[in-house]
Amino acid sequence: MSTQTESMKRGPAGLTPAPLGRHASAHLSRHRVAYLYLLPALILVVGVIYAGVGYNGWVSTLDWNGISPTPRSVGLGQYGKALGDPIVWSALWHTGVFAVLTILVQMALGLLMALVLTVPVRFANLYRVLMFVPVVMAPAAVSSAFRAILQPDGQVNAVLDALGLGGLGQAWLADPSLALISLAGINIWQWTGFSFILYQAALSQIDASVVEAAQMDGASPWRLVRSVVVPQLSGTHATLAITGLIGALKTFDLVYLTTGGGPARSTEFLTTYIYEQTVDRFNAGYGAALSMILLVLAMALTIAQMAAYRFGRK
Amino acid sequence: MIGTRSTRRSRLIAQLVATVVVIPFAFPLVTILVTSFGGEGAVANYAAVISETPFLRFALNSLVIAVGTVALVYACTMSAGYAFAKMQFRGKSLLFNAILVGLILPTLAIIVPIFITVQRLGLFSNPIAVIVPLSATLVPFTLLLARNYLVGIPDEILEAARVDGATSFGTLIRIVIPLSAPISAVVVVWAFLQAWNDLFLPLLILQDEDARAITQVPLYFTSQYGSDVPKIFASLVLLSLPIVIAYLALQKLFERGLTAGAVK
Repeated sequence: MSTQTESMKRGPAGLTPAPLGRHASAHLSRHRVAYLYLLPALILVVGVIYAGVGYNGWVSTLDWNGISPTPRSVGLGQYGKALGDPIVWSALWHTGVFAVLTILVQMALGLLMALVLTVPVRFANLYRVLMFVPVVMAPAAVSSAFRAILQPDGQVNAVLDALGLGGLGQAWLADPSLALISLAGINIWQWTGFSFILYQAALSQIDASVVEAAQMDGASPWRLVRSVVVPQLSGTHATLAITGLIGALKTFDLVYLTTGGGPARSTEFLTTYIYEQTVDRFNAGYGAALSMILLVLAMALTIAQMAAYRFGRK
Repeated sequence: MIGTRSTRRSRLIAQLVATVVVIPFAFPLVTILVTSFGGEGAVANYAAVISETPFLRFALNSLVIAVGTVALVYACTMSAGYAFAKMQFRGKSLLFNAILVGLILPTLAIIVPIFITVQRLGLFSNPIAVIVPLSATLVPFTLLLARNYLVGIPDEILEAARVDGATSFGTLIRIVIPLSAPISAVVVVWAFLQAWNDLFLPLLILQDEDARAITQVPLYFTSQYGSDVPKIFASLVLLSLPIVIAYLALQKLFERGLTAGAVK
């Protein structure tokens, strides 16, 4: 303990500010105490994430149930199997459809609500709370609720009946041609509040003089929004697109608790397929290979989006 | 901004549009609440959830997981954030980026290693087996937030503490942490929310009925009660209530915390 305190006293605790990424110079090596402060976070992240991904990479080269003492090496065989597995391709297709639907609708509704609330409106804070409460709720609770609400004899169909639109009633989650769209609808319900709050924050940062100048020039509200406001929100659009894409790739609770990937695998996602292969079917090797594909997709999408965003800002 | 020159007519239109948009968002919330009062009646439904099911047990397990996660995430975050914001050392940029890469990891992508490790160590149904991987996936984000905040603490204050003979650890505890209340609140709220709401890790790891988390309540109900919708909805209300109340009490903090990573 005393030696540790001594070394901490010698460590000058970095009193000169320097931007991250400045090249390490010779005097930096004296500040070894810094590593002690990093240790807990490093152990955690390296021990779980890096070791996990590394181990996962090794398991993905095996034909193994995760228990047997004699796993069989199959090289890249599991990846070949994945590329030839139609369920993998349809899962990727579902994720893409789900991502496009949810991102576009959430952005449009969130922006609309943020714009409308720049006008003084009654109950504005109540509306804000109603839209943000779903964001803080557990996806497990939201999914279970909608599973009941969207039953053929559930509340959504009851409301349609009451409005004289009973003909529009559907088996929302049991019809293979509708189930994926219904899942997108649930996701939109849960996450539009997130887009709304982000747009509201971004709108408050917009230079008011630009907007006033456009209004002086007689720009219509629609033209004002389209040509002046929307372009200034490009950072928020990019953020919502990235978080939406990664969110779609990560989607698990929602599917697991509503359709379980069905009916007839019409809502299978890569995540639910990985869970099934690993936990229900004991195909650790195949599950690991699918996990690596999920990870590579998440990384590639993030890098591509960040590059597009930087390019767009230039 | 846009509404600075609003007329009576534009206000009316705005009111109308806002109300029409908000109705589909309010409808499921109202439905959940109203349905949970139906069937045998509100009192009977809620009493049944609390007394006839292990609901409180699940809630307590989730509380243990959430508190453990908050403690581990907070300690790792403030300690590393302090070093990254206020100290110079070799490999700083490399190490910071190495941790940030964890931001994009979907937890499900390490399901195989988690499952096998937990099996080998015999940690099924042990809350630690949820807390550790969960914290590891949260730290990259909280560290990014904390480091950006801590950079803004004036160096003169730390310099003064050093002149007064404070150790670097003493400076962290007595100066940096008290000055970081706003970001600390965001980190705590974020970690608690993620831990309370997580389903995937409890589903994978907490298999004994006594060890389950609150997000497993709906699954438990469906297997025990079939489709007793009013009771299921009562359990969903109870599961969401602590978080929703906390949100209503700390509205700004939640909104800032949940969108903090996105506002650059």
